[in-house]
Amino acid sequence: MNRLMLVFNSLLRRRMRSSVTVLGVAIGSAALFSMLSFEKGYQDGIRAELDHLGAHVLVAPKGCPYDAASMALHGASWPCYLKEEYLQRVRSTGGVATVAPLLMNAVYSTQSSTPTVYVGADSQILDLKRDWRIDGEFPQDSGSCLLGSSVAHSLNATVGSSVQLPGIGLDDATKPPMVHVSGIIRSTGQSDDTFVYLPLDRAQALFKRPHQLTHMLVRLKDPNMLERVVSDLRGCDAGMDMNVVPVAHVFRSIQNLVNTTRMLLACVAFAGLFAACAGVSNAIMMSVTERTREIGVMRAAGASRGDVFGLVLAETGITTTVGAVIGMLLAMASGPAVEAWIRSRLPFSPNGALIKPDPGLMGLCVLVSVLTGLVSGMAPAIRASRISPVQAMRDSEVM
Amino acid sequence: MATTTEKPIIEAQNLSREYARGPEHVNALSNVSFHVMPGEMTAIVGPSGAGKSTLLHLIGCMDLPTSGSLHIDGVDTAGLKDRQLTRLRRDSVGFVFQQFGLIPTLNVLENVLMPTLFSGRQEAARALQLLEQVGLAHRAKHRPHELSGGEMQRTAIARALINSPRILLADEPTGNLDSASGAEVLQLFKSLNSKGLTVVLVTHNESAAATASRRMTIADGQLVADIRQ
Ligand SMILES: Nc1ncnc2c1ncn2[C@@H]1O[C@H](COP(=O)(O)OP(=O)(O)OP(=O)(O)O)[C@@H](O)[C@H]1O
Ligand SMILES: [Mg+2]
Repeated sequence: MNRLMLVFNSLLRRRMRSSVTVLGVAIGSAALFSMLSFEKGYQDGIRAELDHLGAHVLVAPKGCPYDAASMALHGASWPCYLKEEYLQRVRSTGGVATVAPLLMNAVYSTQSSTPTVYVGADSQILDLKRDWRIDGEFPQDSGSCLLGSSVAHSLNATVGSSVQLPGIGLDDATKPPMVHVSGIIRSTGQSDDTFVYLPLDRAQALFKRPHQLTHMLVRLKDPNMLERVVSDLRGCDAGMDMNVVPVAHVFRSIQNLVNTTRMLLACVAFAGLFAACAGVSNAIMMSVTERTREIGVMRAAGASRGDVFGLVLAETGITTTVGAVIGMLLAMASGPAVEAWIRSRLPFSPNGALIKPDPGLMGLCVLVSVLTGLVSGMAPAIRASRISPVQAMRDSEVM
Repeated sequence: MATTTEKPIIEAQNLSREYARGPEHVNALSNVSFHVMPGEMTAIVGPSGAGKSTLLHLIGCMDLPTSGSLHIDGVDTAGLKDRQLTRLRRDSVGFVFQQFGLIPTLNVLENVLMPTLFSGRQEAARALQLLEQVGLAHRAKHRPHELSGGEMQRTAIARALINSPRILLADEPTGNLDSASGAEVLQLFKSLNSKGLTVVLVTHNESAAATASRRMTIADGQLVADIRQ
């Protein structure tokens, strides 16, 4: 027999009420974790995607919607184009180390609901994508292609085999073109896995965009020269047609884009947690009132104010701890659904799971929930500690 | 056993307790003086509202007098902090209430052990021995709602004794019992008293008062008669 038993007994006495209270805390802390985890996953995800882009500056066509960056990251059909001749202008700008010209196009096929993204590129791209590990080699001739790992997998392609490109040449009366697989990029965990890289001129011919580009990826000799290079690029005669976007700014503008949603989520999560804690406070307060006489008897039997305070606060502590731990399980179980729901509300979100089990973050959420719970448990604990043995004897006339 | 050289275990001088009820003051107890020697069994009687419970609460260190002095077991209670009063209450006094005050989720044995949660003493063997003494050893694992009124009160008496107090205080301990159970409980008090425990009980019941060796009568907050029988 110990004090903890007394605490558990009193919680178990009102099973229904305790369960509802615990559930409230569980939902509150689950909301908190989901929000923080999503937030962290989102930032990490975007940062990883931008890093993976390998570029310091993105050059997109003027007049393209602001989310050129997200098209470049995830692959899309572009509504506007750059002239290939600008490539020379960009390349000759001081401070520029590498420029990779790209023509991107998303093609729908009958086999799959998601489009296949074709990217026309030249070998300059290899200088940007330094983390690529390629089995085989970058296509040397127009009859070859380089496949992302998951495309290769779905096409059953191996290096040296020939594949029919999905969604291409369907309206062609003649036989659809077979393409030689010169290389396969090992899985990067990024959108690249789903891209089909073709030699630039081949892509331009295939999509009937001769001498046109969708965007250029620019790597600088020294990232500290960013300001100067960007202003030089904007100032050059082709600058009128080019949208010069420093990649570092993309991060910020994506963040700004989703700021209102983030604020809303944070408010919902904290409001949920506070509501849950108000629920705990209320439930414990009720149970203290119901047990006035019992507490008075304990006081008469030698329990100090501190003892009573501790017992009641322990009830809050246990309720919120159990609630928060269940909340973490709840957050894991509901993660995919919650993530899908939040994603559907955001204009852009990185690939990959964002709500992930993260022991550190989970510990933090449990801690925050328990601390908030304990703060809200102060009121009933103080109320209980002030019950005088005499008052308790007089107040109620039942056992 | 009370010898003339022994010091009183309860010593009250001009004890008063006022209550503020709205703008008016109620003198629940005024200028009550008496002392109780170790091993005495005292009955406090008097009409309803006379101040009997008020006096018992003061003796039990559950309440503080508005004025006057009170020594319990040699300790002057004047100016004691809540913490010190709690300790005095815990170590020197056992309480029995009219409404038993058992914790419904604990069994009989656990109820008896409840005060030890706050004294830190482990007294499981003593608890069993006390249950034996009050005739409830066979009920140790039962919950309060499975007991009769008399058994509940005897459980409460065992609980009051767990910390080995020198004084046992009871406020109308037979008030909620039928006469047979009441008689059993009084018999128990009598036998505890015969082993040296100081007992003070408040009662409306004539036969209960008759078991005591001393009868103090309170009326209107004043001690109007104090008779050793
Ligand atoms: N907390 C309080 N506030 C105001 N008045 C009080 C308080 N406690 C007791 N009283 C008053 O003090 C007087 C004495 O009360 P007390 O309970 O001591 O009487 P009692 O002799 O025990 O009566 P009973 O036999 O009915 O139990 C009563 O008039 C009561 O109303
Ligand atoms: Mg009374």
